Amino acid sequence: MPGPRVGIFGLTGCAGDQLVLLDCEDELLALAGLVDIRDFLMASSARDRESPLDVALVEGCVASRRDEERLQEIRQRARLLVALGTCAVCGGVPAMADDDEAARRARLAAVYGELGGVYDSLPPRALGEVVPVDLGLPGCPVEKDELLALLAHLLAGHPPPPIEWPVCADCRMAENRCLLLDGVPLCCGPLTLGGCKARCPGMGVPCQGCRGPIEDADPSAALAVFTQAGLSREQIASKLRTFSGRALSKETP
Amino acid sequence: MTVIRVDHLARVEGHGGITVEIENGAVRRVEFNIFEGIRLLETLVGGRDCADVSPIVSRICAICSVAHALTSLKATEAAMGIQVTPQTNLLRELLFRGENIQSHALHFFCLALPDYLGYPSLLHMAADRPAEVQLGLRLKKLGNLIQETVGGRAIHPVNAVLGGFARLPAPEQLVALRHALVQGRRDADAAVELAGALPPLSVAGSPTAYAAAIGAEGYGYYWTDHAVLLDSGRWHVFCPPDYRRLTNERPVPHSHARYSSFDGKPFMVGALARLAIRSDRLGPRAAAAMRYLGMALPGSNPLDNNKAQLVEIVEDLDFALRVVDHFLEHGVRHETPVPLQRRPGQGTAFTEAPRGLLVHSYAYDEQGRLVAADVITPTAINAASIEDRFRAVVSNADGLPSEELASRLAIVARAYDPCLSCSVHVIETRHAG
Repeated sequence: MPGPRVGIFGLTGCAGDQLVLLDCEDELLALAGLVDIRDFLMASSARDRESPLDVALVEGCVASRRDEERLQEIRQRARLLVALGTCAVCGGVPAMADDDEAARRARLAAVYGELGGVYDSLPPRALGEVVPVDLGLPGCPVEKDELLALLAHLLAGHPPPPIEWPVCADCRMAENRCLLLDGVPLCCGPLTLGGCKARCPGMGVPCQGCRGPIEDADPSAALAVFTQAGLSREQIASKLRTFSGRALSKETP
Repeated sequence: MTVIRVDHLARVEGHGGITVEIENGAVRRVEFNIFEGIRLLETLVGGRDCADVSPIVSRICAICSVAHALTSLKATEAAMGIQVTPQTNLLRELLFRGENIQSHALHFFCLALPDYLGYPSLLHMAADRPAEVQLGLRLKKLGNLIQETVGGRAIHPVNAVLGGFARLPAPEQLVALRHALVQGRRDADAAVELAGALPPLSVAGSPTAYAAAIGAEGYGYYWTDHAVLLDSGRWHVFCPPDYRRLTNERPVPHSHARYSSFDGKPFMVGALARLAIRSDRLGPRAAAAMRYLGMALPGSNPLDNNKAQLVEIVEDLDFALRVVDHFLEHGVRHETPVPLQRRPGQGTAFTEAPRGLLVHSYAYDEQGRLVAADVITPTAINAASIEDRFRAVVSNADGLPSEELASRLAIVARAYDPCLSCSVHVIETRHAG
């Protein structure tokens, strides 16, 4: 089958972004006819582990030496490496602690006791902290229509336009009422990358920041609003850092 | 010495392998190696507000995200003394059914069926067996539609919150769902026929103990309040706070999952275990499907789990249709989530995730911050049972070429539908303050 050679990989994570691809029930067969899927361990036992790939879609974070080695192998094979989902883009939930190695070892021991020391475990990192990444699609999980649009763009030979707006912009477009104006103490929408059509605020659920932080956000205005609502710095920090991994520095907020 | 190794199992969720060593005809070592990366999620929820816990632990696993999110809510609500409404309970059970249908259709059609029909994947079957492929994808999509309608998203639901639901399904959503369910019931019947006509795969069985959660009535997954273990015709019953007496977990060096056993023996959880323990709760159509598939219970062949999943799809679709019809007839009551009063407390919840018994157990301080969390997942429970099954297959594999034996072991592991992302998050942890 001609068409771009594609590999789909999962490192450490929940497999949710690969599952979104399998959840494209109406498009999956057409997609399989347009691209040449060489390596997709979660769905196929036919594996081509060597040949070069035009596109590698990689979800999850790097949390072990094994992950690190696999990612380096994938990088060497792939012309274009796409970080799929928030864990791959910025570390996501596994990276939220962002603590020093001694503290992390203590958490490992709290979970596995003495055996904690023998396991292959590294501090969770985003793909871009280990190898150069060409494109990133955030989301926990990624949105199906964004994933399909990304694949369509790649098939057409050009990258998709970057997301440059916060979830708040999606909320305005959907004509949702602003939860913060309605008295909800904390909504991560102002600081979070948009593109999700404000899925959660549309249901009356405050944004949890699952798509990770928007690059040029100025957190000071949002922080003032959250602080006025009576939240402590610690409460605000833990909320904002849930999905943002190391992308938010320790000083913010 | 003969060493049989499967480096990285295909067509399962997550990262695992198999190691078997045979010396002079004797089995020396049998290991199901789970090397899924360690995320330590239990240590990350420590100190968090009770309202933050469910969305974080949902990330343990995508395929079982509804089970984790809702079992977490159930345990937290028990700790906080929150009683949700009957409508919330009904919608949560419906949401579980949606996940079960999606997960079982994914497993049966995309992961297991290629083994029976001799293909490397569902996508490779598309040219020769388009009808079967389309059938599987339609059923899977229907499970997702239920999850989207009730949970607001197919993976990591956003709409289920402490005390109830943020948004209730609209009438037009329920009508659309009803249309899909009517077609889905025909599809489920076709899937059962397909399973009945599959060539048998030759795998040695071995007797096992089973465990499943069960409620006062019905074939519920969310509606469960105690756990039952069935071992050689004897029943043992466990209340939620007693769960450790059932699981007796211990860490092992060759796997990132902790191993469970009762009375020194591993036990199996999942669709087959549920049928072994509570098939008398099935409705007439699912009971007929079970008879059609010739399933003998409790049974000793792990591959029967594949068929058991189809029986449950029939049951769950019938349940979903009844619930949707109920709402279309009586309407959805306008309800807002039960208000949360933060208080100290402990709560443990049992549910049946697609892959079997799931336990979440939490303790909170007076500000409603989490001080202790313990999550025991079905795949962690099954890990020891899978190794037991490997031993039976290896012992009965005289003269089988290594490659064929490795393939059979992979088929056995796959029949358990292991979810290895889940399996590594099984540990109790306590947090200071």
